[in-house]
Parts: sequence; structure tokens; C-alpha cells
Amino acid sequence: MTAVSAFLVPGSPLHLLRPDNPPWRPIIAGFERAARALAVSRPDAILLYSTQWIAVLDALWQARPRLTGAHVDENWHDLGDMPFDIRVDTDLAHACVKAVKAAGISSKSVDYDQFPIDSGTIVATRLLDPDGRFPLVMAANNLYHDAATTMKMAGVAAATARAQNKKVAVVGVGGLSGTVFREPIAIEQDRIAAESDDNWNRRVLRLLEKGETGQLDGRIEEYAREARVDMGFKHFAWIRGAIGGRFFGARVHGYGPAHGAGAAVIEFRL
Amino acid sequence: MANGEIIAGFLAPHPPHLVYGENPPQNEPKSEGGWEQLRWAYERARKSLDELQPDVLLVHSPHWITQVGHHFLGVRHLSGKSVDPIFPNLFRYSFELEVDVELAEACCEKAAQRGLTATMMRNPKFRVDYGTITTLHMIRPQWDIPIVGISANNSPYYLTTEEGLDEMDTLGKATREAIEATGRRAVLLASNTLCHWHFHEEPDTPEDMSREHPQSYDGYKWDMRIIELLRQGKTAEVFRILPQFIDEAFAEVKSGAFTWMFAAMGYPELPGELHGYGTVIGTGNAVMEWNLVKAGLAGAAAPPPAGPSVAGAREAYAGAMR
Repeated sequence: MTAVSAFLVPGSPLHLLRPDNPPWRPIIAGFERAARALAVSRPDAILLYSTQWIAVLDALWQARPRLTGAHVDENWHDLGDMPFDIRVDTDLAHACVKAVKAAGISSKSVDYDQFPIDSGTIVATRLLDPDGRFPLVMAANNLYHDAATTMKMAGVAAATARAQNKKVAVVGVGGLSGTVFREPIAIEQDRIAAESDDNWNRRVLRLLEKGETGQLDGRIEEYAREARVDMGFKHFAWIRGAIGGRFFGARVHGYGPAHGAGAAVIEFRL
Repeated sequence: MANGEIIAGFLAPHPPHLVYGENPPQNEPKSEGGWEQLRWAYERARKSLDELQPDVLLVHSPHWITQVGHHFLGVRHLSGKSVDPIFPNLFRYSFELEVDVELAEACCEKAAQRGLTATMMRNPKFRVDYGTITTLHMIRPQWDIPIVGISANNSPYYLTTEEGLDEMDTLGKATREAIEATGRRAVLLASNTLCHWHFHEEPDTPEDMSREHPQSYDGYKWDMRIIELLRQGKTAEVFRILPQFIDEAFAEVKSGAFTWMFAAMGYPELPGELHGYGTVIGTGNAVMEWNLVKAGLAGAAAPPPAGPSVAGAREAYAGAMR
């Protein structure tokens, strides 16, 4: 198995920028536990997919060796900026471009000074790997790719890592239910915006904890539709693809709201 | 100050390809040209804008997406390098712009008074989106007129199209009130493509115009139908069929700029002047103008004073804004 660990984490800047806000503490605590698990798994690289890195042409792969800067979120600009310093495994990234292209999915690398790095990638890397110990391979979320294409892409990426004799951690960055508060709220009173969303999230988290992949497969489409799940839960498809489809359960390190939307830090048992 | 007015509105789409095709010094990638019909359309629009002599340009961009409310740029001077996340090979543009913060604050306040969630963006490190920058460059490459940048709240996507566009209508009316209250002579820029069906792969030479054509014939026919109605000044009919156009042509006007602009202008039944139409990676783009001065719906600019030129006065104003 190429994948030595796998995590699904939220990409909302709220948790990073206001970690002490009580409703967001469970997510921060979850990130802390996941960060320890990631470190213990000692990957050679992290295969990361963020729903917030949007592409519409091709599958894009980040290939700049080092990315530094300070990003300001489009919506939460009043909460401050998010400095980042990210290293990329460019050998693996370029190999992924080639392999994914060979698998029939048009792919390109991007290597540009000041290319905009999305909030989700920054949040995940800052909270999962605060010391920047592990280089990344980052793939964009092409809006026209479905879950099957996303799984295929992730599977090819994992196989490419294996061919380079590299162990990888797999990270899918994105939210759960997507109903949000559309007006400002007192952030200390944040909660999942809809009870039905909360119920759906908890049901799916239970299935993940038990590793009920069969039941999950039958319900994800309905979950995505009814709970307005972030990008149809394609970040989970990324994880499934990279770990070969199966996992033996999961640990939910943290669950909570992000201005009404659902967020969870999940570690998969491989 | 009072008695401000909107003097024109432009449909001013933002494909970064147009900047790439023009090869301005601010943009790193260089091209052999391309998309000339649309760039020449913008040349005509530039000339018209020059004659209008506005105090301020307001732009509503679909690439500054906000979930909680309508946001307004609220930092006097913004600069940086804008790299398009979708087309980084074409658009890596160094920009500097001046924001008319007083008008932006007035827009924000009027929007809030009308019941919208509205917020000022005060973070000086904020990265201005490429839609705003492309539209502004294409209409006024000199960057010598202060601007107001407005986000696209995602309400037309999160709610129904109709509910979302109702919000944009309210935003437009609030914008008009703010312009009137602050005494500005303002030009509105709706940064929207029409039919948004596009190719999924880029040609090796992006500016190879032998590869450029409408992605969808049905989308093209929709664009022609909408443009023809706009040319005839049948605004009410356009807005009657707008939701159907949006659904069937995947039209980017869904994001709200077009409705915002027309609401601000009071939905005039005024023939729009088509400066040009063209496709960019298959999407339909029209550069159109509604000149309220020519139509007698707004006052002409005062003749230049005997002393400093208008351009000089504008520069002095921009300087004072810094």
C-alpha cells in the first residue's frame, strides 16, 4: 500500500483564523490529533486535493517547488491574512501529469510566481503539517470532473507515487453539509445551520467510522444533494481513489460548524 | 455633494485572453495577437468612455465570489500581481488601482439600508480578482480613473436564479442612490460573458483563431437573440426571458452584474450600442454600451476649465485619493 495515512479535513479559513472560538475548538483539536497521526505515518509526500482550487480546463497540478506568500480569503478578509510556505514534490507532480494524461484525463502542470493558492490548501497544510515537513502534490478540482474521474485521477497519482517508491499521505480538503448562514452571525454561537444537515452529516460520519463502504456508496449521491455537500463530496472520492477504494473504518477527530456548514476532521483506517 | 448620476453602462466581459492578445506591458505572457474583433470592440468602448469623462468606474465581477453578503473594495490603493488561476499561462498582470472609498462606503451603506448584507473589504493585502482587473484594463488601460469593485454574492447559485437576481436588482438600486448622493458622474461595468458554454481543452497556441468558434450553436443563437433585443432597446423583454437564457445558455449573467447594472440605470428601454461580439474558448462575449448622456437621460460633462486639462484634474483627484 502506497498510502500510509488518509485524512478528510475542512478548508474553511474560519478555524485557522479564529482557533479559540468555542464552536470551532473541536475542529482545531481534531486537526491537532490528525497532525500527530500524519507525522507518525512519515509519508514521503502528501497527495492533496482541495475543493477550493477550481479548474475548468484540464486537470491542473501544482509544480512550483516552493510557494510562499500571504493569502487573504475572498469572503473572510476581515479576519486577517494567512501566510503560507509550501514545498512541492515536483518530480512526483510532473509524473502525475504525465500518468494522468496517459490515463485519458487531460492534465497540465502550473508553475508560476504568485499563482493564487486557495484557502483550503493553506488551511489544511498549516493545520495538518504546521512545520512544513512533508512536500505536497496538489491537484485542482476541475468543476466538470465527476466523482469517478476524481477517483481515477487519485488512483493514478497513488500508483505514480508507488512507481517512485514513495509513501504518501492522502488528504481531501472540503466541507460536509453546505447550508450556510448568509448573514453575519455571532461566531461564538455558530452551529450547523439546518438540523436535517446535521442529521445527514452524523449518519455519514457513522458509516465512515464503521467502514461501511457499501452503504456509503449507495447514499453519497443522496447526501450530496440533500445536504448540499461541498462539491458533491468529491474530496472523499479523491481519498477513495488514492487508497484503492477500501478502508476499514475511520476516526472522527472533530466535527462542528463553519458558519452553518458542516466540517469534520476524519482519519481513515487503512 | 449631491446630484450625481450614472452616465453610462457597459457590458464589459473579462476573458483574460483579451489582455493576453493585446500584449500590454503589465502582462508577463506575450502573444501573437488573437480575439481582434473583441479587442477592437473594446477600442471603440474606450473612445466612448474617454468622451464621457466619468469620475469613477464601478465594476461588478463574477470572480470575486462571496457567500456572506455583497462586498465592496474599501482600500484606497491596491496593487499586486494578479495571476489567473484558470489561465495562468495567459494572465499574470501587475496592477495598481485607486478605489473611490467614499462612494464604495456609500454603496455599502445604501445596500444595507435596503436590507442586503453588505460589507467593506478593508484588508490591504487583498488580491483583486482577475475579472475586475481584466474588465478595467480593457475599458481603461490608463488606470487613471478611480474605481469601485463589487463582489458577486453567490445568491443566484445558492438560492434560485430569480431570488438571486432580485438581490442584484436591489444592489443596483442602492448603487444608484449612492452615486446620486455622492455627486459622482459614474460609469457602470457589468463584467459578464453571455453564453458560457466553453471548450474543455485549450489549443497549444491559445491565440490560434482558426480554433476559435462558438462552443454551442444553440448558445450562439441565444446570444444573437439577446443582443438583437438589447440593440432594439427591448429591455423588459430581455429581463422577461433572462432566466430561460441563463438556464439554456449557461449564461454568466446569472452571477448578477448585468441585472445590477440595468437596475441601477432604471432598466431604460434604450437601444444598446454593440461595439462587437466574439467568442473566447467558445463562450459568447459582447461589448455593449448604454450611453445615457447621448440619450438625454444624463448630463454631459462640463466643458473643461480654462486652466488645467480634464485629464490633469482627474490626475489631481486620483492623487488626492491616495
